[in-house]
Amino acid sequence: MTRGLVLASILLVSVVLSLMIGQVMLSPAALWTGLSTGQGPAALTIRVLRGPGVATAVGVGAVLGLSGTIFQILLRNPLAAPDVMGFTSGAGLAVIFGVMTGIALPTPLLSAIGGCAAALLVALLSLRRDGTQAAITLILVGLGIGFFTAAAGSFILTRLPPQEAAEAQRWLSGSLAARNWGHAAQVFGFGAVLAVGLAIQVRSLALLELGDDLAKGLGLKAGRARLGLAATGVLLAATGVAVAGPVPFVALMAGPLGARVTRAKHPAARLAAAACTGAAITVLADLAARAALPGLQLPVGVATGIFGAPYLLWLLARDIETGDL
Amino acid sequence: MKAVAGLIVLLVVAAVLTVAAGVRTATVAEIWQALAAYDPTDPLHVVIFNIRLPRLVAGLVAGAGLGVAGTVMQALTRNPLADPGLLGVNSGAAFAIVLGALVFGRSDAGLMSALAFPGAALASFAVFMLGGGLRGETGHVRLALAGTALNALLLSLVSAIVLARSDTLEVFRFWVTGSLSQASERPLSAMALVTIAGTGLALALAPRLEALSLGSALARGLGTRPARIQLGALAAVTLMTGAAVSVAGPIAFLGLMVPPLARRICGHALRRELLASAVLGASILLLADTAGRLVLAPAEVRVGIMTALIGTPVFIWIARRLKPGAAS
Repeated sequence: MTRGLVLASILLVSVVLSLMIGQVMLSPAALWTGLSTGQGPAALTIRVLRGPGVATAVGVGAVLGLSGTIFQILLRNPLAAPDVMGFTSGAGLAVIFGVMTGIALPTPLLSAIGGCAAALLVALLSLRRDGTQAAITLILVGLGIGFFTAAAGSFILTRLPPQEAAEAQRWLSGSLAARNWGHAAQVFGFGAVLAVGLAIQVRSLALLELGDDLAKGLGLKAGRARLGLAATGVLLAATGVAVAGPVPFVALMAGPLGARVTRAKHPAARLAAAACTGAAITVLADLAARAALPGLQLPVGVATGIFGAPYLLWLLARDIETGDL
Repeated sequence: MKAVAGLIVLLVVAAVLTVAAGVRTATVAEIWQALAAYDPTDPLHVVIFNIRLPRLVAGLVAGAGLGVAGTVMQALTRNPLADPGLLGVNSGAAFAIVLGALVFGRSDAGLMSALAFPGAALASFAVFMLGGGLRGETGHVRLALAGTALNALLLSLVSAIVLARSDTLEVFRFWVTGSLSQASERPLSAMALVTIAGTGLALALAPRLEALSLGSALARGLGTRPARIQLGALAAVTLMTGAAVSVAGPIAFLGLMVPPLARRICGHALRRELLASAVLGASILLLADTAGRLVLAPAEVRVGIMTALIGTPVFIWIARRLKPGAAS
């Protein structure tokens, strides 16, 4: 419990720092006045400039963290995350495709369609003759789908006029620039609905982690439960992508880091920890992207790439020692 | 013999198409005329000489180099997913060039290109070590993921640098996804020599690399020194990849597609495979480039996008065929 509080305070501190730091620095006192009274220049900065971006970052990080943890538990592999397996880039591709063709579908729907299509493709292409899939094959095939969607995204960018292409390029690397309260509401709204759906299924997730045979023995319809959880995971990731683009590595990192800080064992606790950790990572990455080069907003995905890739390398280096992989 | 003739015909066709295709299509007779009796007042001749021939040379250098580098990497790691692009060697070279341009300001392209080699060397060594390295046991998945991570890191750094320098989107794209469109501004002749040197080194190492593929212990028994051969092979990869990135930016998947084709054409004999890889790599890259110029004309699809679109199905096909047990 206390460790959960540690994680919550890390998130709180990241949010406070992110609200304070920017082109105009706010002192803690000014921040407090602005937040408590809603008056003065600090209040304006928070309400219009930084608040929406930070809130969106929290929401995006949380849904990505949840999504990554679902797949990591389902496939029992720390590498199985929607960003590694190409689901997020599939969602991103669908949104860019919508921009190019002028399809008048709402972004979250496009993103969900793209994410589901990518996940379905990965699942089908990694089917073995006996109708099962190995986690390793799923990850590799997913990696391939990710490469393909990235290339297809670049292909589409070729057809856009330069100004739009530059904007789309930023979005495809994961960006939180110029987000408004509507974006934050969108990610929190869809995220909350999906989180409730996930809460209902959390018992199945706990059983599936024990292995399909045991889960079946305890009366679970494993196939159906797996499908429901995977769908929830893909939709959570797509919700994040719809507002911030395919931000890389957050979904991969959030679960294991959260579990490490809280030492949580039960899936429900690990999911909660992952949501918190994902939010903190995204807020801090966004802060780093804004603060690293003042006057220039780097896309948040560049920062999560710079933090996240070494994590993946560390994971691989550690697994060489333990021989887990 | 038939295979050799087939490869030469393929390369010639690819080369002629590269020079012929464009806004104004040139016939074979016109190309011949431009080469034999160059007329500086004829716009088509000028285009052929100043734009399309450099493009052809860049395609030959990058394609042959990446094809051979892929075959060397696959022989070295015994991993069918090894490719200079996928394993981050390309990104290492691109990152070094971009970083050099940032630190030293805008100086000549030749000097910056020299930085590609330390960049490629560091990246290839890093990914080789992370993938299991000198123990000789490189897990397929681990190597592919280590490459993905290295790529992601280096490309994020490239993005950060290029976006911070507020260059045009075109410059950014060149160092993220390769293209032959800037060929006439790149140091072609120097890099052609480097590629030839790298290919020569690979050919010289081929018999010992084959011995190494029998296992380190056996190779040592046959009188070879595994670590030295591995470093030599990485040096060859570095030379060819660095040169390819210098002329064309990072281009992935060529080194993945070419080796299985080369093996199918000339069987398991590394020297012949390497030579076939050079020809196949150059041909595929030139054909992909020409296709990229035609498919959305007048817009041009960068050749790095084309190779990725063709190469990812190959990647998935190979990934599916890996046995889960052996894949770990």
